[in-house]
Amino acid sequence: MAISLRNLSVDYSLQQGTAHALRGVSLEIQEGEMLGLVGESGSGKSTVALALMGLLANNAQVTSGTATIEGKNFDLTKRNATAALRGRGMAMIFQDPMLSLNPVFTIGAQLCEVLRRRAPGSDRKTRVEMAQDALAKVKLSNPARRMNQYPHELSGGMRQRVVIAMALLSEPALLIADEPTTALDVTVEAQIMREIIGLRDRIGCAVLLITHSLGLVTEYCDAISVLYAGEKLESGTVEEVQRQPGHPYTRMLFDCEVPIDRQRHADASENRFTVIAGELPDPRLRPPGCIFNSRCDVSFEDCTTINPSDYPVRNDAGHSARCLRLRTP
Amino acid sequence: MTRARHTAAFIAGRLASVVLTIAGATLLLFLMVRLVPGDFASVMLGPRATPELRAQIIHDMGLDRGLLEQLWLFASRAVTGNFGEDVVSHRPILDILLEVIPNTLELAFSALALALLIGIPIGVIAALKPGSWLDSGLALLSISFITTPTLVVSVVLFLIFAIGLHWLPVAGAGAPGDIVDRLQHLVLPSVALALGWVGYISRLIRAALLDTLAELHVRTLRAYGVSEYRIVGLYALKLALVPVVSILGIGLGDLIGSSVVVEIIFARPGIGSLIFNSIAQRNYPVVQTCVVFIVAFYIVANLVVDMINALLDPRIAAGQG
Repeated sequence: MAISLRNLSVDYSLQQGTAHALRGVSLEIQEGEMLGLVGESGSGKSTVALALMGLLANNAQVTSGTATIEGKNFDLTKRNATAALRGRGMAMIFQDPMLSLNPVFTIGAQLCEVLRRRAPGSDRKTRVEMAQDALAKVKLSNPARRMNQYPHELSGGMRQRVVIAMALLSEPALLIADEPTTALDVTVEAQIMREIIGLRDRIGCAVLLITHSLGLVTEYCDAISVLYAGEKLESGTVEEVQRQPGHPYTRMLFDCEVPIDRQRHADASENRFTVIAGELPDPRLRPPGCIFNSRCDVSFEDCTTINPSDYPVRNDAGHSARCLRLRTP
Repeated sequence: MTRARHTAAFIAGRLASVVLTIAGATLLLFLMVRLVPGDFASVMLGPRATPELRAQIIHDMGLDRGLLEQLWLFASRAVTGNFGEDVVSHRPILDILLEVIPNTLELAFSALALALLIGIPIGVIAALKPGSWLDSGLALLSISFITTPTLVVSVVLFLIFAIGLHWLPVAGAGAPGDIVDRLQHLVLPSVALALGWVGYISRLIRAALLDTLAELHVRTLRAYGVSEYRIVGLYALKLALVPVVSILGIGLGDLIGSSVVVEIIFARPGIGSLIFNSIAQRNYPVVQTCVVFIVAFYIVANLVVDMINALLDPRIAAGQG
């Protein structure tokens, strides 16, 4: 059953005014698939995850948005709309495994806490067995010993496996992984991604992978959505989008990836890294027209005035982008 | 295992520092008493004492010997529990002290227990809904508890419940061995002593809890549907207790100090009233021994505090805390 998020808008009240972190973002994830949500820092990626979970900070306000999860509809503008799903229908893996576990409780205690909710009525012994089994499934060495260890006795990669085991125990319909490998060694990245894929295949859940790394998305995801300054600019299957990006921003993002066969330049200060010039627009004051206009290399007159709607790319039903150049005349 | 070895090393290190601190504090106290201008004999006997009497007292107290010899005598006797004789009653000082110390410990620990039992729930309730009217009300209550001097609280409680309503006994510590009688005598003094600490502890717990609740591991628990009551009352509270327990260790000194006032008002025998009376009588050997005991108590209490914190937060025992 597909998971969908429609027209999500989130405002943050700040001292300097109201920042519009997300404007009308919609996503769809098929069951058993992984959707990569990419965008640069400040584009609102994590806000999508926290709004879905109902874990936004107190100064955040969901102004519009509905979600369909496990066939049920949720009005996200209500606080705690999805509270009933936490730890049951939805689970989350966080960016910083060093900080995402309680330092004064054992790994076992924290895993068993998840089971109090997921498997109510089970006795302690069953829970301990289930938790230990989950640690074994995420390939944490010596699970019986890990149960009695504290987070500080484990490495970052091991701690992230513990959080993945938590997600595994809660058997969610939607798993949100918010930059799950960003804080980890590159050598551990592939292992952690493999465990997340393993979890998805075991439970058959939908996965929302939030990342700034296009490499991760092209390697592991089925579909991709591109977020820029709180707006979704493009979405489609990874194959389609990679072959022919519909939006200039997506094309520029792919151009920024360093191909492995590029010739090394002797002087690092004269490197040929591609960058996207300019900065994100002010989140308090949206310019009229296309949100990417100021940084776009192919913009034309209409781009400053007309806010493009979602146009299909190459008549492919699953692939669309918000660029006026895709308008059919 | 490495964890057991860490813990053993932690405890051994702390114990060694306790012994050294007590020895150092005793030495300092010994020197301070002797460096104070004016000699014991003239203070005790007054200006019109005969030279013979003065010489006798000075000899009895060992003040005619060299400073190093005095220090050696004091230290070697103190190690075996011999703190000398009370110059007034000629009873061993240790006996006098052991008679009154249980009263003071009863008072201090019952006050501490009361303060924790009332203060922690107030702090937790305030942290559950920060900014609510309940939080503000509890803040007002806590701050008025903190700012009312123990002396005032003692007198008011004394006047209302002992003199006015006759609900509780007026003075003393109760008949030895009669637990009910002793408990009745304990109620008013320990409430008077605890009240300020109820305020302190509730404010500390609230602040530490709110800090902890902003940490990322709390978000993890929330994401997995753990109830807010379990998060605040169990997962965040255990972490929030660490700084509070540390402050309690320091606060125990204040508790013993305030107990002087309470013991005098309620006419309870205890180390507080013993020091007070001894100072009035210029009975310095007793004062000196009492202070050594208070210092030792304070240091041991802080050792216990460190142990409790190491139990609460395993990172402390591992040397990462």
